[in-house]
Amino acid sequence: MIRKVLIANRGEIAIRISRTLREMEIQTVAVFTSADEHSLHLRAADEIHSVDSYLDSQEIVRAAKECGADAIHPGYGFLSESPALAAASEQAGIIFIGPKSDTIRVMGDKLESKRVMQKAGVPTVPTWDGSPPAPEYPVLVKAVGGGGGKGMRLVENAADLTGAMASASREAGNAFGDDRVFVEKYIRQPRHIEFQILGDSQGNYIHVFERECSIQRRHQKIIEETPSTALTLELRNRMGTAAVAAAKAVHYHGAGTVEFILDPAGHFYFLEMNTRIQVEHPVTEMTAGLDLVREQVEIAAGGRLSYRQSDLCQIGHSIECRIYAEVPEEDFRPATGTIEVFEPPAGPGIRLDSGVAQGSLVTYHFDPLLAKLIVCAPSRDAAIRRMKRALGDFVLLGVRNNIDFLGRIISTPDFAAGKLDTGFLDKHPEVFFSETPPIEAILAASLPGGARAPGAPGKAAFPGVWTSGSWRNS
Amino acid sequence: MISREFHWSIAGHDITVRVEESQGHGTFHVEGRSLPFRLLQSNWIEIEGKKHRFHVVRSGNEYTIWFNGHTYHFARTQNAGLGQAAGVAASGEVLALMPGKVLRVEVEVGDTVEEKQTVVLMESMKMESALRAPRAGRVARICCQVGQIVEMGQLLVVID
Repeated sequence: MIRKVLIANRGEIAIRISRTLREMEIQTVAVFTSADEHSLHLRAADEIHSVDSYLDSQEIVRAAKECGADAIHPGYGFLSESPALAAASEQAGIIFIGPKSDTIRVMGDKLESKRVMQKAGVPTVPTWDGSPPAPEYPVLVKAVGGGGGKGMRLVENAADLTGAMASASREAGNAFGDDRVFVEKYIRQPRHIEFQILGDSQGNYIHVFERECSIQRRHQKIIEETPSTALTLELRNRMGTAAVAAAKAVHYHGAGTVEFILDPAGHFYFLEMNTRIQVEHPVTEMTAGLDLVREQVEIAAGGRLSYRQSDLCQIGHSIECRIYAEVPEEDFRPATGTIEVFEPPAGPGIRLDSGVAQGSLVTYHFDPLLAKLIVCAPSRDAAIRRMKRALGDFVLLGVRNNIDFLGRIISTPDFAAGKLDTGFLDKHPEVFFSETPPIEAILAASLPGGARAPGAPGKAAFPGVWTSGSWRNS
Repeated sequence: MISREFHWSIAGHDITVRVEESQGHGTFHVEGRSLPFRLLQSNWIEIEGKKHRFHVVRSGNEYTIWFNGHTYHFARTQNAGLGQAAGVAASGEVLALMPGKVLRVEVEVGDTVEEKQTVVLMESMKMESALRAPRAGRVARICCQVGQIVEMGQLLVVID
């Protein structure tokens, strides 16, 4: 029985986890560092507790004990895939909402995880410890302990390998505290297809279908959807079976994701397994009708899976767009500032998982993910139209962001046709060009009372800088 | 009736808008045309009988306009015909493109650098990025240190 959970995370995922816990009538504790004193996730929790770092597992476990929490939910990123937090929790008698520390250790080591998958009969991508033979280029340099594109480099020829490995190693060391890197064969025109899996402590395993995550920038996903246009029923069954075999091979306990790359010929390879809730989990929830965080909590408390494989089906189509504080038109440079206007979209089939609101301060301390906009509709075509409408309704000003860029991507004929691969953005340079403003926009900007100075509160578009016309009082 | 003039720099073009307004009604004068407008409730404007939804925020002379579902960024200039600071591309200043930490300085004072050669490595939001020389030349000054937290636009290296 879990009564109180410390959420060892921040931003949108801390808030999303808190929502499910409250529905389960479980008390929640939010943690925060000095950079997050005024952040939105603190308002979503019953209690708050300050910490020096989100990355110190001993401190997180101590905080959980001090608050009387009986479980820790790690979210994604930070310590979610750190065997240290899982182990420290296990030792302190606190339930870690995730797999066992040994499973995290094996799956977090990309080389070790491949060996385990090969033994379980799951196909994997070839790798090398050092420089591969010349005909194998281009290759990818990857962090052994990595994820999310950090510590990853594409290397076109052997001469650049040493520099790329050093740079990736540094970035990995900073981001994950593990600077080991390795070299992997680069599959051309790959699609990134992952399967959500669930496993309980009684040895039951299911998959909850796929997510297509092929639209990426700098090896990081920005648009995800389910179902994938690349999968036939037959291929879905084969990949789903492989994903369940992967989970079984490590006696997986909790919610996890088995990532595959799919080549244009329909061959798939195990890439890695993420032993945590994924950023893009909402598209699965929207189409399969379950709450993955609830499943995580029930499994962690020793419960059985609430579903058998045959109970599950997907209804409709779901797409997620990640709203980042960054400028895609300027090489994706991160943006900072205060959110001056925040008017999110609403309506049928629209879900917003946001870590920010009007007045939120966006700093360079953390990942630039601001919010996730998720839509669900009866067909893929309807989902695209719904997403276009929702992005168009979304007003987020004060911090540069990628909302217009996302709109341009989903408006391309290739996106509509489902012609996706991880090189999509390289093939569509047109999405990097923002439209010239219509003359009416320039006119509206020329209303002297129309602009809000940074930091100024208020909701009216025309604070009384201009005349005292009757419109102001309406 | 109040009348004001605004000068904008839009994708390299200078545009002047003169606004006359009284009691929420008025006229825009732009490029020889006169367009009547009416302010509706918050964030709605009717121009030539057509309704538009909009939001404006500004930081100095940089304006961000959300207009009918799209966001645009453009700059206000002080005088008509005077574009944004000219000669930025020709300058040898290497500025921080974003706030973050200096990871490495790849050059020393006196070094000769090629155009686009990496001079500083920065980390921001856990991602590494390389700052490159805007032009070929000699490193005249280094204004940052490894480990230093720098602000956006801060001067890091000067190339003669």
